[in-house]
Amino acid sequence: MKLYEYVIRRLVLMVFVLLAVSVIVFVITRGVPSPTYALAPYITPRMTDPQKLQTAVGLGIAEPSCPSWVDFTQSAPGCITPLYVQYFSWLKQVLSGNWGNSVIPSIGVGQSTWGLFVARFPYTAELAVAAALITVLFALPMGIVSATHNNKVPDHFSRIVALVGYSMPVFWLAFILQIIFVIYLTLTIHGNTFGLLPSSQTVGTDCALCIPNPGNINTYTGAPILDAILSLNPAYFWDALLALILPAITLAFSTLGALTRIVRSSMMEALRQDYILLARSKGLRERTVIYRHALKNALLPAITITGLILATLLGGAVVVEEVFSWPGVGQAALDASLFLDINFLELYTLVTALIIVVANLGVDVLYAFIDPRIRY
Amino acid sequence: MTQRVEEVPFEPRSVYRRRSGRISEIKYSLYLARKNPLVLSGSVLAIGSILIAALSGIIVDPRSWAFQYPPRYYCWNNPWINWHLQNIKPCPPGTPFYPLGADAFGRNLLNMIILGLPIDLQISFSIVISAFAIGVALGAVAAYAGGLIDEAVLRITDVFFAFPGLVLALVLVAVFGRNLTILTLAVLVVWWPLYVRLTRSQILAEKEKPYAEALKAMGAGRLRILFLHIIPNSIYPVIVQATLDIGGVILTFSSLMFLGFAPSPLTPELGKLVSDGISFVSQAPWLVIFPGLAIVLVALGFNLLGDGIRDILDPRLRR
Repeated sequence: MKLYEYVIRRLVLMVFVLLAVSVIVFVITRGVPSPTYALAPYITPRMTDPQKLQTAVGLGIAEPSCPSWVDFTQSAPGCITPLYVQYFSWLKQVLSGNWGNSVIPSIGVGQSTWGLFVARFPYTAELAVAAALITVLFALPMGIVSATHNNKVPDHFSRIVALVGYSMPVFWLAFILQIIFVIYLTLTIHGNTFGLLPSSQTVGTDCALCIPNPGNINTYTGAPILDAILSLNPAYFWDALLALILPAITLAFSTLGALTRIVRSSMMEALRQDYILLARSKGLRERTVIYRHALKNALLPAITITGLILATLLGGAVVVEEVFSWPGVGQAALDASLFLDINFLELYTLVTALIIVVANLGVDVLYAFIDPRIRY
Repeated sequence: MTQRVEEVPFEPRSVYRRRSGRISEIKYSLYLARKNPLVLSGSVLAIGSILIAALSGIIVDPRSWAFQYPPRYYCWNNPWINWHLQNIKPCPPGTPFYPLGADAFGRNLLNMIILGLPIDLQISFSIVISAFAIGVALGAVAAYAGGLIDEAVLRITDVFFAFPGLVLALVLVAVFGRNLTILTLAVLVVWWPLYVRLTRSQILAEKEKPYAEALKAMGAGRLRILFLHIIPNSIYPVIVQATLDIGGVILTFSSLMFLGFAPSPLTPELGKLVSDGISFVSQAPWLVIFPGLAIVLVALGFNLLGDGIRDILDPRLRR
């Protein structure tokens, strides 16, 4: 099989996976609760009852023969269309971009669900990318060193970091970091006591290291750090960076261990190979042997897991966003689940599933490009 | 010389070795486990937490979780404190009768942690055991039957792999309401595919080995080969994964409880205890630190144990 045939096969499979995900989520969210919940994102309080019924018919949730809105809300027989019909009309709505309006109080009542998602997604993406960068920056050196110093102090250290990372609840680590950097490490400036880092804002100005009035930025991408760079505002950039540190470290810590262990084991595998023996016997320096010969071959599994890590970070940031009041999609999804905003939950689930599936595909294709031995 | 050769079969030791190879194998594994400090501490933590959880109702009065002293979040029987309203503070760790301090409702934090442990362990064990059973059954059938069944099982796991961690749990809990069965199912739904994949890959490698072919040539039935020979030989990595996952499931489940999906405000659970302590974090940080530390210790125990079991059961790393 050629590479492009493989990619096409995977793309077809991907569409089916996404359809199956959408069916599962749809059946869970529409089949069980009252149909008025499914309708809530599309109706406004000012609508009269016939208008509401009209909307329900238009969305394919109510049968045209339904006599009145009251009958619909009481699920009178013959008023609610069968679930599979609802699914197809929902799919048509959603594919044309109509996700209705948000019903989450305090976040965006009246704002369109899609708009809310698009406005919040850059924050989550920024957090996830920062966490992935931290993971890679720390895990690669730690993995390499613990492979070259097998069963010595650096190896034990990285093993302990990995195990503690696996065993630490994210919400707890978040609070421990907040207790250390916000409550205990304080500086007093002009008689006011500030914590070292901001606790819970995307751009906090209540901390000792922050620059008090960073000015304004223009919205280009929606992610504060990128926008600050694009607006050439170094003060805002600094504040946004400080606010990003604690959430990103918290998020990175849980995945750090996994990547370290994988780099370590694949590095040890590579160092056992014959070409390493050859390189050493040629008289190459140890540094060259490790970084030019072993590392290049050991990086493949690490690349796979990095792609997957980015995907899980994007989807799994709910807890971190909630603790640090980070205005990303995860926090909005939590609120949506508390207030049963079905459309936002469906959108969130589908987009995260899409990201994970695309990341999997991308990693597999990248694999084939990097490693000439792999043929599909 | 000839006499000696005849004596050999009657030597009791060789008979013992041949008959009880498996027992001596287990004994050797236990010996290796005792020798490794990490595994030893892991098993002490894991078994200790299971014991404390099992006996929590005897050690601590279970009613004390719901027993609250609303206005009195201070050391009410601490003689060292000056009973003046301005001095009312949360009771810090290390005071008499309150080794870990008192929580916001005047309850003994150590007792609360002991009471919160069983539900975490119970749910974690039930999720991991169900995921293990589903995974081994489906994975074994898929790998051994191959063909269309294999493809179908793989595609189903693909779909569930596309749901990241807590996302499906958020949807399920939002729709079906907050009760422990739904929360358990919500975690289980994203956890079982891993076991299917793991078991499948193990059995695919195992069924090509010569002994499986030899058994087939001897006329053993397919199911007999699968259940009596191939599964027992390939199940160790799955067991290791299950041990590691007990800690992971505790983390996921307590995150759900932390996020506010506890069935009732009085559910005794460690993540819930952390979230109860948040509002006092600046005056009484121990209310957040100690319950979380308890989660870390339990999860670390099972992770150390799983890590050690992997090293001990893997013959390549063994010696």
